[in-house]
Amino acid sequence: MRRFVLWGWLGLLTVLIPFSSRSTASDEPHASETTVADVGSAPNFNRSVRPILAKRCFTCHGPDSDAREADLRLDTFEDATRDLGGHQAIVPGKSEESEILLRIRSDDADLRMPPADKAEPLSPEEIQILSAWIDAGAGYQTHWTFVPPTRHPIPAIPASTPSEPSVTSLANWSRDGIDRWVARGMARNDLQPNREANRLTLVRRLYLDLVGLPPTPEQADHFVSDKSPMAYTRLVDSLLADPEYGQRFARPWLDMARYADTNGYEKDRPRSIWPYRDWVIKSLNEDMPFDQFTIEQIAGDMLANASVEQRIATGFHRNTMLNEEGGIDPLEFRFQAVVDRVATLGTVWMGLTVGCAQCHTHKYDPITHKDYYALMALLDNADEPEQIVPNRLWDQQRTQHELELQQLEQQLRAQFPDYEDWLVSQQADPVVWTTPQPTELHSTLPKLRWQEDGSVFADGDATKRDEYRLVYSEGVSVETKEPTPLPGSLVNQPITAVRLEVLPDERLPANGPGRSYYEGRRGDFFLSEFTILVDGTPVKLQAASHSHGSLSVGSGSTDAANVIDGDGSTGWSTSERPGQPHQWVANLAAPIAVDQPIEVQLLFERHFAASLGRFRVSFAAAESPQIASMVPTELKASLHQTSPITAELRDALFPYFLAATPATLEAHKSWLAKKRATPEATTTLVFRERQPDNPRPTLLRHRGEYLQPREEITGDIPAFLRSTTHADVEGRSSMNRLDLARWLVSGENPLVARVVVNRAWREFFGAGLVRTAGDYGTQSEPPQHPELLDMLAVDLKKNGWSVKQLHRRLVHSAVYRQSSQVDNTKHHADPENHWLSRGPRFRQSAEMIRDSFLAASGLLDRTIGGPSVYPQQSASVTAMAYGSPAWTTSAGGDAYRRSLYTYAKRTAPFAAYLVFDGPTGENCIDRRDRSNTPLQALTLLNDPMYVELAQELATDVLREHRKPDDIIQSIFRRLLTRPATASELAAIRTFYLDQQARVNAGEVSGETTSVWTWVARALMNLDEAITKE
Amino acid sequence: MSNPSIITGESTAITRRQLYRDCGIGIGKLALASLLANGAQQAMSMENASQGILPTLHHPARAKRVIYLFMAGAPSQLDLFDYKPKLVELGGKPIPPSVIEGQRYAFIQPDAAVLPPRFRFAKYGQSGAELAEILPFTAEVADELAILRAVHTNQFNHAPAQILVNTGSPLPGRPAIGAWLSYGIGTESDDLPSFVVLKSGDSLSGGASMWSNGFLPGQHQGVPFRNSGDPVLHVSNPTGIDSQTQRATLDLISEINRERLSTVSDPEISARVAAYEMAYRMQSAAPELMDTKDESPETLELYGAEPGNPGKAFANNCLLARRMAERGVRFIQVYHAGWDHHSDVEGGLRGSCGQTDRACAALLKDLRRRGLLDETLVVWGGEFGRTPMVEASAALGRSSGRDHHPQAFTMWMAGGGVKGGQTIGSTDELGFHPVEDAVHVHDIQATLMHLLGIDHERLTFTHAGRPYRLTDVHGRLIEKLL
Repeated sequence: MRRFVLWGWLGLLTVLIPFSSRSTASDEPHASETTVADVGSAPNFNRSVRPILAKRCFTCHGPDSDAREADLRLDTFEDATRDLGGHQAIVPGKSEESEILLRIRSDDADLRMPPADKAEPLSPEEIQILSAWIDAGAGYQTHWTFVPPTRHPIPAIPASTPSEPSVTSLANWSRDGIDRWVARGMARNDLQPNREANRLTLVRRLYLDLVGLPPTPEQADHFVSDKSPMAYTRLVDSLLADPEYGQRFARPWLDMARYADTNGYEKDRPRSIWPYRDWVIKSLNEDMPFDQFTIEQIAGDMLANASVEQRIATGFHRNTMLNEEGGIDPLEFRFQAVVDRVATLGTVWMGLTVGCAQCHTHKYDPITHKDYYALMALLDNADEPEQIVPNRLWDQQRTQHELELQQLEQQLRAQFPDYEDWLVSQQADPVVWTTPQPTELHSTLPKLRWQEDGSVFADGDATKRDEYRLVYSEGVSVETKEPTPLPGSLVNQPITAVRLEVLPDERLPANGPGRSYYEGRRGDFFLSEFTILVDGTPVKLQAASHSHGSLSVGSGSTDAANVIDGDGSTGWSTSERPGQPHQWVANLAAPIAVDQPIEVQLLFERHFAASLGRFRVSFAAAESPQIASMVPTELKASLHQTSPITAELRDALFPYFLAATPATLEAHKSWLAKKRATPEATTTLVFRERQPDNPRPTLLRHRGEYLQPREEITGDIPAFLRSTTHADVEGRSSMNRLDLARWLVSGENPLVARVVVNRAWREFFGAGLVRTAGDYGTQSEPPQHPELLDMLAVDLKKNGWSVKQLHRRLVHSAVYRQSSQVDNTKHHADPENHWLSRGPRFRQSAEMIRDSFLAASGLLDRTIGGPSVYPQQSASVTAMAYGSPAWTTSAGGDAYRRSLYTYAKRTAPFAAYLVFDGPTGENCIDRRDRSNTPLQALTLLNDPMYVELAQELATDVLREHRKPDDIIQSIFRRLLTRPATASELAAIRTFYLDQQARVNAGEVSGETTSVWTWVARALMNLDEAITKE
Repeated sequence: MSNPSIITGESTAITRRQLYRDCGIGIGKLALASLLANGAQQAMSMENASQGILPTLHHPARAKRVIYLFMAGAPSQLDLFDYKPKLVELGGKPIPPSVIEGQRYAFIQPDAAVLPPRFRFAKYGQSGAELAEILPFTAEVADELAILRAVHTNQFNHAPAQILVNTGSPLPGRPAIGAWLSYGIGTESDDLPSFVVLKSGDSLSGGASMWSNGFLPGQHQGVPFRNSGDPVLHVSNPTGIDSQTQRATLDLISEINRERLSTVSDPEISARVAAYEMAYRMQSAAPELMDTKDESPETLELYGAEPGNPGKAFANNCLLARRMAERGVRFIQVYHAGWDHHSDVEGGLRGSCGQTDRACAALLKDLRRRGLLDETLVVWGGEFGRTPMVEASAALGRSSGRDHHPQAFTMWMAGGGVKGGQTIGSTDELGFHPVEDAVHVHDIQATLMHLLGIDHERLTFTHAGRPYRLTDVHGRLIEKLL
């Protein structure tokens, strides 16, 4: 007998409903009863049956064909009921004839499923459920989150007998549909809601939740004394309108965006992408509808007439890391970045662990290996440039600098009257160069494009070893498709010299001329070899010269002869002169005859990608050996064409005069120094879709491994989430990134609204309605209140995707307003508060803790946006990182900005955040851990940053109060909002008096302020000070 | 709720799962005992006790702790452990194209010439372990070592390769070995972290990812111990606060926290009170640990240690590692960065071996004579090996070096249930590929976990919809080691 293996714990949907009409999860009441309650009646597939099949069977009998045993799958009705040669795994209506049950129940260890060596046998309860389900017809259902949410009739308020006098009845308690769903769940579990929290607790809760800062005692008292029935709503609305709101909610979004200010990996160099962070804050404050918020971040660059803001938004997926370690394969780490993008997209907008399908078809959810790469293809076709962010200040600075540079040039002009003679000599210098059009352009990977000015531009991906080939033969030009003459025939004389110009281009990193974007300086190139072939044989080049040579990363020479020495490790580079044209010239030992086809080869083989981005190859037929000119070709041409020499041309040529003669070298240095001091524009990292004629092919990778590429895959949405075909999207044959962005927030994606609602719920309640963060697939924990989630999801879309309205609604609910106190009975009945019969109580995030103390101390600087800042931190934190970079505390208010502005270095995250589970920016974090450790205690007690805040807090309070009890209460309330109880007050007073006595006795050095600092420090360390109740 | 119990008289139920997952505490076994169920406490006193998430060990442990001597930068196995006469013969000639076809390199082109071994080799100890002459101290403990000569990895750049050795994945974000151990079997110390990191030499490529808790709860993060200033960040009181004020402060905090606990009954508050107490203990334990004045001159001499001398940082760290082992730290990682000999591999090795050889051997001898070696697993190795071919580059100013070589390299293990005095595995005549008993870094991880009583396939953590483990979907036991 064939053995079919049933073990593991997978899960999957199926689309097929065999007998009845298609039923959806949303028709079904969900798990308010336990699974055992199903026994005896027909068990609900989604609630009771799928979890068993998923956990026990699908690993070997699920969607992953590579892992499938005995060619049997149990995740669809059709497959499970297929004829297996006289028997069926499942015979609907007949559990006794179903092979699956015979095998599960078998006493023979060799026959029993799951195999004894893999897993425990099924429990009697599990067997009973399966049996009852088969007897009832073995109906399959689609997993509930794979069906679009619908609104269910809101249940009536259950009749209840309040056990607490303060809760008059659930009917009076309920304020919203939210509460009625929750009330139903409570009633079914014999739970009563908690009382509404007192007003001090509520005001603190609202402030912390909506703006991430505690209320001042005055703000709290204002709310408490406002007896208007509208007081609560007024407070909520004012907090939602407060710019602090966007800063508070940007943080969880940036966790998912894996935002950081450095590139990650070994070198972890700085990057500029804070304009993206500011875009998030602004969008949240403006309550940008979530669909628009999504589309702009995924594909803002592809929108019609995309604004700079919309391009900045695409920084979301530019937050991936960049490996700059010497010798890496850049394309391998680009692939890893795209892998990260796919996984992040799945988590953030689909709530699915799409990343699992990188290596194989998903074991639980219906995402095939191919689906994964189809999704990847949609994200894979973008180039990754920098975007200049316009800024008035920068414009002013640049204008000012330009003026200063001109002044310097005027001074230098006066110093060197022989400039005129030089100009005349340059004008007399004959032009001998010609730039023929190649008939073929080839390269290892970059796409070479002919430009109108005779140059060649390279786009597409660069590799560590790029080779360019330019063929000049009899044929048609690559560009004009016109017949093109041979280089020699253009000058009608044998060719004696060749010139390579390296040219700037604003499309290149740092304006070129090279393509280097990691490890080396941006915009660098490193030309290893330059070869001319005639009839496939290299011709001898000699007497090479260049206008400038300099190297970064290494100490070798950049002599012009390096590129004709046959050694790939030597070469020419013009490092540290980004955005400047330079040239290299060599002479031929023997002229090339007029009628000879020529091939030019350029080889770039440094330990990082360093090929040229824009260059021009020209030839000369000259009687004397040619040398590289300091003057760029275009300027030289103008000089020859213009007489008399215009003032503009004089200005433009002057720096080249300075570079050209030994007598002016010092002056040139001072000019260069000034030129380099040009104020840099603010830039940010963005996406730019590739040219239609050079799309990036996305290849399926066997086992997910970069080194195992397979067939090319066309971009598409996973089949099981597609209700219509996208074959003819806007007349195109396949989907693109913008289509994907729109699909994510379309009605076709059943998950997105649920995911957004659940995340919002978690921000306020500490745990989501679906508690498995980042996973709403078949493996997710079934929620207690799916109808509530769906109601909020439907309403979110109906309300134009307004997240602020969602937040407003959640905090208005009676569920939210409950006190978080709990007694023993209730704690035992529902230790994890699944049924929401009490309010939230959980530790604040790392950033909220610091922000709260900043606010309490009065030091908080409320400036919004701008480059990241450096609060006080021990030097030893970054000393552990590569290169031990210094951490210099920001001057002035910048050291006291809200914590989301703290410079985020991936390999050395700000220690006071990391210790409280702050993110590293290395992965998408949908839900942070909330740990509770001794190192947290050491941080809050002893970190000089916090001690300073304690001192400021004490000092500030001492300005207002004189009496010890007043001082204590003021410090206490700034930190905890509520006043201290009598016993708390007594304990603090005793501490104060004891310590003051020690100071007075000279046991310990200090003054009045220090003792109050110690008091403030102690109160900052209270559990309640860092907790939202 | 299989083990409901009572905490500190407040009658709030708390379970092992809540403690580890929900409360997210990391407070040592003393505090744990005060918080946990009686039933759970009993489980902890059993033979296969675990102080972590595992109720009991998967099998009896052979080692209680690990000292991992991480030689970051990748030592040249061909010049230290894996002698290849063929390289002498082929010196200056290119490697046969059949060998190098399809291989990727960081810096060199694959047709680079062969570089012969830089040192003389000899056989040492009863076991006849073959070692280079520049490891004279290691040679003295040759019979303690199980030398793994056919280790391989699939990363050829430092950061990803170092992160792979430490976390099982080349990309940052997964928990490190030490974090898994802390999570799985907890700590034996009540006043020190369970996972400690020491460092000397150059910059570490893999960075903080190598001691990250990844998706495991935060308390399992590795704690770097600094060589100067505060050994642990913020372990000293702020200026002006003496120990009496600190104690009074903690008492005040504790008193008010307990009062709040009686009102709101959140077990998280109890956990915080316990965490503050452990922090307080750590404040005296950490300086005491770092203070080596009770070590004899003979011991200092054995290691070549000079406390306070940054030039002897590795030797000082090895001594500290032993002191941590004595104090119950579970996973002690001692990094020495500076083995990345792209140029002048001979001179580079003389320097690096000079800084490390003596202290590594001393650590084994010292643990042995204190009766700790049998329960302490010591691991020595880098993130990959180095090429049989020479590295030379005009642009980078390099000559007579070796490039990165992930295909084969050497590590050794000692103590902790490892069968010493043997050399496992071999490579081809060029030292290019393993030919016998090839061992992937995932196999090293699986074996390490096994020695500590953990089945690497069964210690998992569900994150983002699927269970993860240290060895991903790989890892096989190195049976010959056991």
